[in-house]
Amino acid sequence: MAPNAEPEKDFPWWLVILAVTGLWLLYEMLSDEVYASALRVLSKGLVVTLAVAVVAYLGACGIGLGLAVMGMSKRIVLRQAARLYIEVMRGVPIIVLLLYVAFVLVPGVVAGVNAVAGEDILRTRDVPLLWRAVLALMLAYSAFLAEIFRAGLQAVDKGQIEAAMALGLNGWQRFRFVRFPQAFRLILPPLGNDFVAMVKDSSLVAVLGITDVAQLAKVTAAGNFRYFETYNVAAFLYLVMTIGLSLLLRRFEARMRSRGRDAS
Amino acid sequence: MKLTAAALLGLATLAAPALAQDLPDLAGKEVVVVTENAYPPLQFLDKSGAAVGWEYDAMAEIAKRLNITVKYENTSWDAMIPAVAEGQYDIGMTGITIKDERKEKVDFSEPYMRSEMLMIARGDETRFTDAASFAAIPELLISAQPGTSPFYAAVYNILDGNEENARIIKFETFGAGLEALKAGDVDLTLSDSTAANGYVAASNGALKIVGEPLASEDFGFIFPKGSELVAPVNAAIASMKADGTLDALNQKWFVDYKMGE
Repeated sequence: MAPNAEPEKDFPWWLVILAVTGLWLLYEMLSDEVYASALRVLSKGLVVTLAVAVVAYLGACGIGLGLAVMGMSKRIVLRQAARLYIEVMRGVPIIVLLLYVAFVLVPGVVAGVNAVAGEDILRTRDVPLLWRAVLALMLAYSAFLAEIFRAGLQAVDKGQIEAAMALGLNGWQRFRFVRFPQAFRLILPPLGNDFVAMVKDSSLVAVLGITDVAQLAKVTAAGNFRYFETYNVAAFLYLVMTIGLSLLLRRFEARMRSRGRDAS
Repeated sequence: MKLTAAALLGLATLAAPALAQDLPDLAGKEVVVVTENAYPPLQFLDKSGAAVGWEYDAMAEIAKRLNITVKYENTSWDAMIPAVAEGQYDIGMTGITIKDERKEKVDFSEPYMRSEMLMIARGDETRFTDAASFAAIPELLISAQPGTSPFYAAVYNILDGNEENARIIKFETFGAGLEALKAGDVDLTLSDSTAANGYVAASNGALKIVGEPLASEDFGFIFPKGSELVAPVNAAIASMKADGTLDALNQKWFVDYKMGE
């Protein structure tokens, strides 16, 4: 049997199955008291989950793009510094990084600030655990995103850059108007995937007690003694977010592709 | 012997003023108390999602007696001792067992509650009836969270004192270990009396308590090292023990309150 050459043309039965399961869960949530109260409590964590993911992701994009540019610098110091950072951050599990940032890095920075200032101007409690968690996710993801940006920027045809040079564009203009726009179209799918992954990985901040969906699920199950129902609701909420985002991203990519075709 | 008696007498005279409602007045000082809300009935979310429990009531009473303003924050158990130790919060309350090695990182209050460790098995379990008969059958497994009191009770009170014993199946959360028990992956799990009774009551006969309580442990609030709050809080706890407030809370949360109803 030859492998199917175009599996993406299949009718999305998986989506139908998920939608039916989702509707059944929704019915349970509306009719069953345990489900209903779990949904009420867990949905309070949606804003935190999404806010953590969005802020950490945007920060990670900024740092990642900077690292990618650094990694292609003329100076070996910058290139190797970026490499060191990326290899370390990619090699440490996010949960380890979270605890490390929260209880080693931030207290250390606070102590350093106080030592420099000569008095206690900052207390560790002035840096909320929420921000430490966001910072940790940001640092972790910036390394992955840096690699995506690097691959995208390197994939742009050299002739394009040479042409831009011939037109007299300076370094920033070449990056802003020629290299980055073309790289962006290439890396949009992996960037989108990483955002969806970030929504899922944001559940790790529960280890610091941030009241996101995962932490509220833990707390709710501890109180109602109904792990199965509570985690069903948590899985439902995460799936609505991740699959919803994936579908949106695919649409957006398809539009970008068709626009790319029109332009050429 | 004489020295001990003298010391006890000294302690008694020291404690006496506290009993006489002569508690320090902290003039409305703001105190940040951290908890997880994951340990019913000490602190948990009720059906409406409101944070309630024995410890909330006790802390409110302590706040009233000492004239402090309590501000609650939440963190997870994993982060609690480091966060309190580094001064992120003033007091941690989440049924924390008083242990010498923890005293190296944080200060403890006097105990406000004593809890016993109970063995939970499936409702239809017939192969063992207590710790000794469980230990005698090598194929029986027990679930525990590494680093917690039930884990050490499993190692030292039930099994052979080897923390790597293959009969202990390690889980990250108590809930996962409990589900493993229900599913038949393990045959026993341990929890303190407070939670164990709650889980058994909510299980519709799927779970039961077996054997005698294994070990008892004392719960205390934790403070950053050298905190000035330790002495006033201890005085408040002593006064609440003396006038029956703690007994009333035990009655309210362990007897009268029905979890999950």
